[in-house]
Amino acid sequence: MTVKLFRLAWRNVWRNRRRSLITLAAMSLSVMLVQGSHNLSVGVYAQMIDNGVRAGSGHLSVYVGDYARSRDEKLTFHRADLQTRIAALPGVAQVAPRLYLPGMAQSSRESRGILLTGVDPEVERVVNPFLRKLGADEMLRSIDGRDAVIGEKLLRELQLKPGQKFVVTVQGRDGELASELLRVRGVVRTGMRDIDGSLVLVGRERAAKILGVPDAIHELAVILVQAQDDVTVYPQVVALLGPHPGLRVVPWETAMVNLANAIKFDYASQQVIFIIILLIVTIGMVNTVLMSVLERMREFGVMRALGATSRVLVTLVLTEALLLGVVAALFGTLLGSGLTWYLAEVGIDLRDYIAAEIEFGGVVFEPIIRADWDWVWMGKLALWVIPLSVFAALYPALKAVRIAPVEAMRQV
Amino acid sequence: MPLVQLVNINKTYQLGNQQIHAVHDFSLSIDRGDFIALAGPSGSGKTTILNLIGCLDKPSSGRIEINGVDVAQRSARQLSDFRLRELGFIFQSYNLIPVLTALENAEFTLMLQGVPKAERRSRVTDLFRQLGIAGLEERRPNDLSGGQQQRVAIARAMAANPQVILADEPTANLDSHTAIELLDLMRRLNAEQGITFIFSSHDQQVIFRARRVVRLKDGSLQSDSLESAE
Ligand SMILES: Nc1ncnc2c1ncn2[C@@H]1O[C@H](COP(=O)(O)OP(=O)(O)OP(=O)(O)O)[C@@H](O)[C@H]1O
Ligand SMILES: [Mg+2]
Repeated sequence: MTVKLFRLAWRNVWRNRRRSLITLAAMSLSVMLVQGSHNLSVGVYAQMIDNGVRAGSGHLSVYVGDYARSRDEKLTFHRADLQTRIAALPGVAQVAPRLYLPGMAQSSRESRGILLTGVDPEVERVVNPFLRKLGADEMLRSIDGRDAVIGEKLLRELQLKPGQKFVVTVQGRDGELASELLRVRGVVRTGMRDIDGSLVLVGRERAAKILGVPDAIHELAVILVQAQDDVTVYPQVVALLGPHPGLRVVPWETAMVNLANAIKFDYASQQVIFIIILLIVTIGMVNTVLMSVLERMREFGVMRALGATSRVLVTLVLTEALLLGVVAALFGTLLGSGLTWYLAEVGIDLRDYIAAEIEFGGVVFEPIIRADWDWVWMGKLALWVIPLSVFAALYPALKAVRIAPVEAMRQV
Repeated sequence: MPLVQLVNINKTYQLGNQQIHAVHDFSLSIDRGDFIALAGPSGSGKTTILNLIGCLDKPSSGRIEINGVDVAQRSARQLSDFRLRELGFIFQSYNLIPVLTALENAEFTLMLQGVPKAERRSRVTDLFRQLGIAGLEERRPNDLSGGQQQRVAIARAMAANPQVILADEPTANLDSHTAIELLDLMRRLNAEQGITFIFSSHDQQVIFRARRVVRLKDGSLQSDSLESAE
């Protein structure tokens, strides 16, 4: 009987072909839209996280105590063999040691507040997307030289030119001010005003010498091959930190709260839109099923006169909605895959729409945004559409059985 | 024991602040194997009485017994099951399900009963042959003439081997030649298989073919005769 009822439901769906097709089109296009924009967001977020962690503190970062929050310059540590051991973990691409010293930079004409950042030039070159653009003659040459790569805005404000000298002054560990003469080797432009106005990159050992604590660093930024590997790498890093009491490993969501929150907020507001879209589609679905039920009241009356229980009729109407939902889920996912394919392969070029870089949660957007495939989520959404359309048919189904068979048969 | 017994039935409808007595103090006893015509002018209560016997409607007062069981004692579910297994229905406008083929329409009640496919097929194919519509199994109702559709409806009513077949003006939409042919067919099934038929009609030629004629006027029994009037 179930098989027969299924076939009857299927034929009923196609009874009014045009109406069913319009409903299916609306549902499928919504599925496509929601899947496509979700995948686009996933792609954009992944790119932002990637840029963010590379320019920032890594997917995971190792600090002393609460340095992530307090930024207390005294919280330095020595790498010992940690850097090489973490770098050897499976899933880890790079480990970048960094020393951050707030201070002043002075040219012959101007002075500005800066963040003197000591880095490992070879590692940083690979990791940091902004340094990759620099030519070989613009990059720091050694870990303890006097070369400096500075932000474009800072260069302008200090009225410097590449090759010219300037002086940085920071507070040493002994409490005395320590100054050092540096030379501008390269200039970077990140698009973020704060960074472009305060960045001074030097070799890590040079910065440590100015501080007066050789080999000191504030941070080991761990860059992973794939962002989602953080769950497996994290405990291994924790294990390596065992013999180093006081050191802690922090995921990027904690180290870069602004970026994490910006993404969460953006995705939450998108979900609200998704829910509204699905709600509108559901209402359209209620309308379609209700119309098809009202047209067939007489038929339902006849079926009940012949001995069909109200349960059979409710099952029939819900099955019709179920079939519509299944077709819409399948077809919508097909369309959604097509859209995602386009967005992943071709992407959207934002350069036509925005003049300058857009900063989001402390990270700069790439001008071409691309989608990433999130099959699991696409499948989940498609599976949700089915119960949703069955839900939409509940009221029409009740309508079909509430009326007495004699009344129903009297209708035209 | 009579198959169907109506005792002092009244049926009133409330229409605005007006009370309509569709059936007034009506009693009738129907035996197994009867071939009864309900006759009477429009509005005399024929449909109302058929609906009451078919358990599609409840009387305002009075008692209806089928097979000795008081219908009022049964639940809605039991009545559904009762209609499915013991009653067959034929309607004036055929009321076949348009998306089902002739064969599937005729199988409908067997399908609801959960009868296996092979058994359904053989039963319905057999009926189609008896009713002279063999070869039309795969047609949709829209592709059949009125007379053919009504024969499919008879097949549907008979498929589940009901005790009684109720037919409200089964020939009203057919031309007189087809109407008489259909009546003769019903009468043959009655004679050969002992199926009880109760049908209503305006048409003297159709009423003439009944063995027992129950005449109604304004919801009351006017006459109940074993011979047809003319
Ligand atoms: N649902 C209803 N509400 C109000 N009055 C009704 C209803 N159903 C039937 N009636 C009235 O009850 C009376 C009997 O109606 P019924 O349909 O049984 O007559 P009938 O003999 O079948 O007539 P016809 O030959 O025209 O089909 C009529 O006066 C009719 O108007
Ligand atoms: Mg009538």
